[in-house]
Amino acid sequence: MTELAFGSSTPLGQPLLLGIVEGSVYGLIALGLVLLYKSNRIFNFAQAEFGTIAALTAYFGYNGKLFGIPWHMPWLVAVTVGIVLGTLSAVLTERLVIRPLFQQPKVILVVGTVGVLLAAIAVENLVVSATEPAYLPSVTETGLKDPAFRAGFAQYNVSWEQVVTLIVLVVLALAAVAFFRYSRQGTAILAVSQEPTAAATVGISTSRVSLLTWTLAGFLGSVAGIVALAGSPVLVPGIMTGTALVGGITAAVLGGVTSMPGAFVGGMLVGLVHQFTASYFSFPGAQNVAVGLVLLLVLLALPKGLLGSET
Amino acid sequence: MTAVAAHAAPFRLTGSGVAARGLAYVGLAVVLFLPWFTTDFSKTCSLAVIYALMGLSLNIVVGYTGQLSLGHQGFLGLGALVTANVVFKTGLPIWLAMAAAVLATTLVALALGLVALRITGLYLSLITLVFGSAITSSLFALATFTDNNSGVKITRPSYLSGNGDWYLVCLAVLLVVFYLDYRLTISKIGRALLALKENERVAEAFGIGVTSYKLLAFALSGAIAGLAGGLYTFRGELYSEKDFQDPNGFTLALLFVVMCVVGGLGNRLGVVVAGLFFGLINEMLDGLLYLHWVRDVVKHIPVLNGYYDSDVKASYLASLIGALLLLQTLIFNPGGLGASLRPVARWMTGHRFELHDTTASGPAAVEGSSVRA
Repeated sequence: MTELAFGSSTPLGQPLLLGIVEGSVYGLIALGLVLLYKSNRIFNFAQAEFGTIAALTAYFGYNGKLFGIPWHMPWLVAVTVGIVLGTLSAVLTERLVIRPLFQQPKVILVVGTVGVLLAAIAVENLVVSATEPAYLPSVTETGLKDPAFRAGFAQYNVSWEQVVTLIVLVVLALAAVAFFRYSRQGTAILAVSQEPTAAATVGISTSRVSLLTWTLAGFLGSVAGIVALAGSPVLVPGIMTGTALVGGITAAVLGGVTSMPGAFVGGMLVGLVHQFTASYFSFPGAQNVAVGLVLLLVLLALPKGLLGSET
Repeated sequence: MTAVAAHAAPFRLTGSGVAARGLAYVGLAVVLFLPWFTTDFSKTCSLAVIYALMGLSLNIVVGYTGQLSLGHQGFLGLGALVTANVVFKTGLPIWLAMAAAVLATTLVALALGLVALRITGLYLSLITLVFGSAITSSLFALATFTDNNSGVKITRPSYLSGNGDWYLVCLAVLLVVFYLDYRLTISKIGRALLALKENERVAEAFGIGVTSYKLLAFALSGAIAGLAGGLYTFRGELYSEKDFQDPNGFTLALLFVVMCVVGGLGNRLGVVVAGLFFGLINEMLDGLLYLHWVRDVVKHIPVLNGYYDSDVKASYLASLIGALLLLQTLIFNPGGLGASLRPVARWMTGHRFELHDTTASGPAAVEGSSVRA
């Protein structure tokens, strides 16, 4: 396995590969954003933070002290607990913030998600400062160890866990597309987003559909947090928002905010833009500027995104 | 008949009524002047006043035109950057430097306003979010603007060297901006902006130039933020780009939104009070802990018990309170602080004290109403 498709070490290979794996995190965040945009017609600014919540919980569950109690859960249990808690925070957001503001203008709902984001970061900070730092190894450190494979990727500075991220993204994106195309629940979500009153008339519970979408979005955000953060030595509160929110939003808009495959493609493109700018420009903040310009250009020239049809 | 009677006997101020209101104004002036006697506390108060200015700045965009901006830390920082660098490199007097800062932020805000003509609603909030993070991480970090990454050190002129003196300058600027903002809302421009916020197409049909008024709103907002940035950088006598870069910058941008919503969108008094509140919240929490029973309670709450040890922890608690206040305001009290303060404000401006004001009309009646998508 030492030979990969990008056999030679061309200057293009490295940013290309790194861009795709980085883009898969953006793609995962974008998937959740698109899901919520489909159902509520809003952008959820707390989307990436569900991931931080999940990762932090998994950290403390795996090998950390919380409130003086040491926890030593197995890796898989810790990660599951993390994802459950991250998803639960999305469910709570829906019940406590989105539901009471349902009839309000969309901007108010967005400000509500900003409030959730602020509250989440503050709580994380309080909890983290009350306990000791911990470390959560990535999935490859615990199970999948193949020195030959690692060596093959090392040439491109791409680790196994980044490949796992990409696989997770592909699987979840395909699952999401299938969910909306073939399942009754997926169709119900689309129906409520397009015409809530008519959907309610034919017997769809808008309340349950809203809860379902937020649960799914919370799950996607949590998975994104786990795959992006497991194995990273530092974990500070708000890290997913700081590193992946803008990229995820840009990816969602680039893909046309209502399209699941679009979110996937958008994530990849943003990741590539990020990595190519990083390797060819050296002035500070070049990556942020590049992503910002992409977002601006897409909104001005291509407001429907690349794949902007409702599917 | 009763309605006619109510109109026939308008409320008139009596002599004692004038005296009571005058006394209230004197009391307010004294309270606002008190920090001048302190050194550390007046520095915190300057920050609170600068927050209030930023609240007024953002309020023009969010409250008057109904567009959510998540990048206002960029304008504050740009004001600070220009002021500090002009003084540092050319030695111009600080007033000229601050004028340059206002010019720079106005121009950048105009550019953002041009974008806002094409992109509105939620998409604009994304653009502002990206604008904030992009400008702070690129332009602000350039070595030429940060004195080779060591931070630009500047000093205030000798007649303003005390923290208390600078606090009075900030306060004076706030009062002037507050008054100008009031003049703005009762003018043709203010009514045009309100009409735009309610329904852009209808406003246009009535002959309101959407383009120019939107640009004007952004320019005014940018100008106030630039002024606040100048005051900010001279408050600490240092320009450091870290103050405005993520994650600090993002928190700051969100804090400004929190101030506007908690204060009541479009309500300038509420926004100013909320700005002062969030500027002083750490001091207030500290003050609260002087009470013995509060200490005893806090000691037993697991996550909060380290509160005494670190200032950092205090700021986390403050931001949690901010977030909860934001959500509480959105869900239960959409008018914000401004709506709660309205009876007092009306009394202070020479009206009858009424808890439920039924006479409000014109722009005032729309104040505190929600933003439109």
